[in-house]
Amino acid sequence: MTDMSADEFYQLAIYISFGLSILAFLLTILRLVLGPTLPDRILSLDLLVTLGIGFIVIFTLATGYYAYLDMAIALGLVGFLATIAFARFVMHQGETNDPLIDDGLEQVDKD
Amino acid sequence: MSNLFLINVLMAVAWCAVLGSFTLMNLLFGFAVSSGALWLTREQYRTSKYFHRFWLVLGLVLLFLKELVLSVVRVAWLVIRPSRSLNPSFVSFPLTVTKAHEITLLANLITLTPGTLSVDVSDDNKTLYIHCIDVDDVDALRRDIAEGFERKIMEALR
Amino acid sequence: MISVITGVLLITAAVVNLIAAIGILRFPDLYTRMHAASKAGTLGAGLMLVTIAIHSGEIEIASRALAGAAFFLLTAPISAHLLARAAYVAGIEPWEGTKVDHLKGHYTDKQGHLSSDDEKS
Repeated sequence: MTDMSADEFYQLAIYISFGLSILAFLLTILRLVLGPTLPDRILSLDLLVTLGIGFIVIFTLATGYYAYLDMAIALGLVGFLATIAFARFVMHQGETNDPLIDDGLEQVDKD
Repeated sequence: MSNLFLINVLMAVAWCAVLGSFTLMNLLFGFAVSSGALWLTREQYRTSKYFHRFWLVLGLVLLFLKELVLSVVRVAWLVIRPSRSLNPSFVSFPLTVTKAHEITLLANLITLTPGTLSVDVSDDNKTLYIHCIDVDDVDALRRDIAEGFERKIMEALR
Repeated sequence: MISVITGVLLITAAVVNLIAAIGILRFPDLYTRMHAASKAGTLGAGLMLVTIAIHSGEIEIASRALAGAAFFLLTAPISAHLLARAAYVAGIEPWEGTKVDHLKGHYTDKQGHLSSDDEKS
């Protein structure tokens, strides 16, 4: 780094990390398409959220506009809740195990 | 003990208020100064136990960060090496810690450490089931966790 | 100086994220893939937020970023645990190369009730 100033290196680092993040996005989307099971796809969606946070952070550093940081944190919160909801869905897959809801469903079936 | 931590933080905030600038460096420096003040009064107010626990918790956090970095290095090696031979296993681990928050902390630590991922705890809170990505000796793994994290958690939280 | 540190951290975090993505593509079954996603993904996002905290140098931004990083370190293991447990209860088969399976037969019903190691049901 003798012929490169610190600011030039910083700009280059932003470009390189943008490139690596895009590559990671594409690979994760490939797993999302390939599957083969539902939890695999949920896992790759979870990783996509994580990669999206990284992408927003790089974008924040590139533009110097720190309001995007809140977006990254909110995305993390939503991604965590989404994964939990998906996990519960995988676990029950139709049966709720909640007498209130199940009895209600039976009522609907009778009517 | 958490009382003293609160006092420590409040004194750091007061330091910043006196200086009139709430920057990160000022807050950290204020924290260091106020913990120094607490250390000076250890004879009068018996704050030495607080410092002992402070170091234990700090050690736990540092150990955790070190293991996280190590685990990523290990996963990275498993990812980029050419051969695909793995020895994944589901391993049961008999728990010594009993309280819910200790088990939660242990399970979280296990998930973020090299090659292990906690899957579930049995209903009677006695067994933790772990998925290991590449393990040869199950007993050695159990011993590592019991003498590493579990002992440290018990030291720091009891 | 700050911009050099930020640049190095940024590239490291991006490489860690890329490792998570390659891992999720290369590993043979869901449970091994979860290792790549939960560890490397968490460290990647955490490093990114630490980078932004160092780069800004202001307390209101740094505290938000560090709180976000701490939040990730706490929540990533929980979502990994829930997903692995749900997949096992739902009957997703582990890879055929799995050597030991102490979990087999310990789930007593489909609601995820789990018996301990010594009381074999």
